Amino acid sequence: MPPLLDMQKITKRFPGVLADDQVDLTVQPGEIHALLGENGAGKSTLMQILYGLYQRDEGEILIDGKPAVINSPQDAIALGIGMIHQEFMLISRFTVVENVVMGLYDTPGPLLDLRAAAQRLQALARQHGLEIDPYARIEHLPVGVQQRVEILKLLYRNARLLILDEPTAVLTPQEAAGLFTVLRSLAREGRSIIFITHKLHEVMEIADRVTVMRDGKAIAAVSTKATNARDLARMMVGREISGQFEKAAPAHNQLVLQIQDLQVNDDTGYPKVNGVALTVNAGEIVGIAGVDGNGQSELAEALMHLRPIRQGQVMVDGVAVTHLSPAAHRDAGIAYIPADRRKVGSVGSMSIGHNSILGRAFDFAHRGRLLFHQQRVKSHATKLVEHYNVRAPGIDFAAGKLSGGNLQKVVLGREVMRQPRLLIVEQPTRGLDIGATDYVRQQLLAERERGAAILLISAELEEILKLSDRIAVLYKGEIMGMVEAAQADVEMIGLMMAGSRHEAL
Amino acid sequence: MSSTPFFERRLEPQEAPLVVSGTIVLSILAALVVGSLLFLPFGASPLAAYTAMFSQSFGDLNGIGFTLVRATPLIFIGLGTIFAWASGFNYLGFEGTLYIGGAMAAWLALLCAEDGAIGPLPPLLFFPLVFVATFVAGGLWSGVVGWLRARFGGNEVLISLMMNYLAVFLINYLVSGPLRAPGDLPQTARLPAWTTLPFILPGTRAHAGILVAIVAAIVVWLVLRRTPIGYELIVAGFSPKAAHYSGINVANRIVLAAFVAGGLGAMAGLSEVLGVQFRLLDGISRGTGFVGIVAALLGRLNPFGVVVASILYAGMGVGADAMQRRAGLPSSVIFIIQSLIVLLIIASDLLRYYKINWKRR
Repeated sequence: MPPLLDMQKITKRFPGVLADDQVDLTVQPGEIHALLGENGAGKSTLMQILYGLYQRDEGEILIDGKPAVINSPQDAIALGIGMIHQEFMLISRFTVVENVVMGLYDTPGPLLDLRAAAQRLQALARQHGLEIDPYARIEHLPVGVQQRVEILKLLYRNARLLILDEPTAVLTPQEAAGLFTVLRSLAREGRSIIFITHKLHEVMEIADRVTVMRDGKAIAAVSTKATNARDLARMMVGREISGQFEKAAPAHNQLVLQIQDLQVNDDTGYPKVNGVALTVNAGEIVGIAGVDGNGQSELAEALMHLRPIRQGQVMVDGVAVTHLSPAAHRDAGIAYIPADRRKVGSVGSMSIGHNSILGRAFDFAHRGRLLFHQQRVKSHATKLVEHYNVRAPGIDFAAGKLSGGNLQKVVLGREVMRQPRLLIVEQPTRGLDIGATDYVRQQLLAERERGAAILLISAELEEILKLSDRIAVLYKGEIMGMVEAAQADVEMIGLMMAGSRHEAL
Repeated sequence: MSSTPFFERRLEPQEAPLVVSGTIVLSILAALVVGSLLFLPFGASPLAAYTAMFSQSFGDLNGIGFTLVRATPLIFIGLGTIFAWASGFNYLGFEGTLYIGGAMAAWLALLCAEDGAIGPLPPLLFFPLVFVATFVAGGLWSGVVGWLRARFGGNEVLISLMMNYLAVFLINYLVSGPLRAPGDLPQTARLPAWTTLPFILPGTRAHAGILVAIVAAIVVWLVLRRTPIGYELIVAGFSPKAAHYSGINVANRIVLAAFVAGGLGAMAGLSEVLGVQFRLLDGISRGTGFVGIVAALLGRLNPFGVVVASILYAGMGVGADAMQRRAGLPSSVIFIIQSLIVLLIIASDLLRYYKINWKRR
C-alpha cells in the first residue's frame, strides 16, 4: 500500500532565504507523525506548501501514490488534507455549527440547513468522544473546547490527514492529555496526523514516527521507538543542550515586593485579578503558573501601573507604589519584560539603538536634558548587543526585523542593564527556539544570583518548575495555592491550573 | 515551475535612498508624460509647454522669487504635519491654524500702528513678539484638539476638519466687523510698512519668511532626531502601547505635538499676512492648509524633503498661472498633473517591493 502522503525533495526559496531544501516527508495511513524543529527550521513553510498556501519551487507531492496538484487550500481540502493553525480560525460571535459549516456548500438549494448540519456534527462528536454543544457561541468556550471545534471542522470535511501546528501551546496538562487521547483514536480509525512541535517530550509521548528539521533540511526521519529525547534534541539543535540549571539556594531573604488584596479589571471592566496577595524576596524567583488568560497579564500590568488598580496595595521595599505613574515605577527600580515583545516591549520600526534606550531616553541627554548625547546612546546600544549576544548587522538595524530570540535579548538586556530591584517577567521564552530559550533562562538565573526579586509569569509549566523557588498558580484571577518548587508536583499544579484550590503553605 | 520570475516579490521594500529617490523621480516623469496628453486638444507641444512652465518658475530671479513666496507657507504647514503625524496625531486643521496665525499677526501689527493701542515698537522687539504670539495662538487652536483626543479620545481628524470652518468664519467675522477698515472690501487696514517681512532678493517678492521656514525645518529635524522629547514623541506615534509601557506620558506628548504643529501652521498665516498681503482678508489660504500636507507626504515626512517638495509644488503653481496667461492653456492641467504626481508617488511604493531579474534562467 502506498503511503498516504509522500513529499519528495520539496524546495522553496524566498528572496534571500532557502526555506526548504530538498525535504522529504512520508506519512503512512493511521500514523501520528511529529514534525520537529526549531523556529525557522522550515516546518511551517513545508506545511503551508502541503496546504496550498505556498507553491513549491521544486519537488513532488504524492497522495496515495498519485501526483497531486495543490494550488490552494480548497484543493488540499478536496484531497482530504486539513490544518489547524496555532491561532484558531474561528469567528467568535458565531456558534459552533456555524463555524463548522463555514465555507461549505454541501446543502441542496440556496438555503443553509443548520439543523441538519448540527445533527451530523453531533453524531461525529459522539463517535470521536468530542462532546460539544453545536449551538454554543465560540466566545463562551474555553480554548481547549475551541480546539475541539477546529478538529470537528476537519472531521466534518472528512479529512484523512490532519495537520496540527503546535496544538498544546494553549492547553493545560490535562487538556493536552485529552487531546492526545482524541488523536490516538483518530489514528486508530486510519486517519493520519502531522503534529508540528518543538517540544521533545510531546514527540516521545504521542508520535509513531518523527521527522526532524533543521535549517530547511530534513535531518532525520525515525521511529520514536528507535530514538530518545536526547538524540532528538541534538539533531534538532545541531549540538548538545544541557537543559539543566544549576541553582544555588536563595541567599537573601529581604522582602522586596509585597502585594495585598490586589483587584484589577480588564479593558472591558470585567474583574480579572481578584484579591491576589503575594510576596517576593530579593534573590528569589516566584513563578506564577496558569493557563493563559487567567489574569496573568493584568497582574503584571497592574504591578507597573500600566492598568488602573481597583483595590489593594503594592509595596516595593516597604514603600507603597500602588498608584504611582509607570515612569515612577521604573524609577523605583522595577523592570518589566512584557509578553508581547514586538508590540509592547519594543518599537519594531525603530533601530536597536533607539530601542535600547526605551524608557530612559533622558538618561542619555547632555546636561540640560535638551539634546541626546549621541555617543552615549551608541556605546550603550553596542554594549547591549555585545553583552547580550544579539545577532544583528548593527545597532541601526530595525528591531522589528530581528528574530524573536534576538529581539527578546534586546528587551531583556535593556531591562536588566538597569540593575532592577524587582524584575517582572511575562512569558519570557514564548515562541523562542531552544538556544534562545536556554539563554534567556540563564540570564534570569543570573539576575536572581545578583539579588533581584523576580516574578516569573509563564504558561510553560516546565519553565516555572525549572526556574522558580516558589510557585503560585493563578486561576480566574485568584491564587489557587503556593508551593515550594522543591516539593512541587506536576499533577497537583495541573489540578490547580484547572481550578482546584490547594492550601499548603 | 523552477524558472525565476522576471518580477520577483521581495519580503520587504527596498529602502536604499537611491531607490527611494529614483522611484519618486520616475513617478514625476510618468505624471508629466501622462499629463502631456492633456495638451493635445490644444495642439500645443507638451515639451514646449513644460519648458515654458518651468522656465517661468525657476528660469529667472523674478520667477524664483514668486516660487519662494508660494513655497513658504507650504513649508510651514508641511513641517507642522510632520510634527503632528510623528506622534500619531492625525491633524488636518492647518487651514484653520493658518487663518488664526494670520489674524494674530495682523492684529498685533495693527496694534503697533501709529494710532494703535500699543504704538510703534522697535523691530527687534516686534518681530520676536509677533512670532511667539502667532505660534502660541496657533498652538492653542490645535492644542485644544490634542487635549480632546488625549483626555476624551476625541477623533482629531473630524474635530480638526470642523475647526477649519470655525477659523474661516471667525476671520470672516473679524474682517467684516471688529477689524474692518473703512471701504468697500471686507478687510483690515493696510499694516504699517515696518511690520512687514523684509524682501530678501532685490527686485522680487521673496521675503524673509522663507528663511524662517528653513530655520524651522532645521529645528524640527533636530527636535525629532536629536532630542529625548522628540524621541518620546516618535515612540508615542509608532506604538502607544510601547510608549505607555516604557513610562512615556502619551497624552502629554500628544498635546505637545498638537501645540507645536498648530504653532508651525500659524506661521504660514503670518508669512502670508506680513509677507504677501500686508493686511488680513478673506481667502488668504487658497487651500494651502491641505496642499502643505501633500507637500509633507511628497517629502516623505522628512523636514528637508518638505522644503524641496514645497518649492517644486510652488514652482508648478507659478508656472501654471503663467501658462494660462501666455499660452491660454488652462491652469487646471497643472493641477491635474500635480494630483497625478501625488497619486503616482504613493503608488510607487509598490515598486520597491519588487526585484527585477534581468537574466532569466
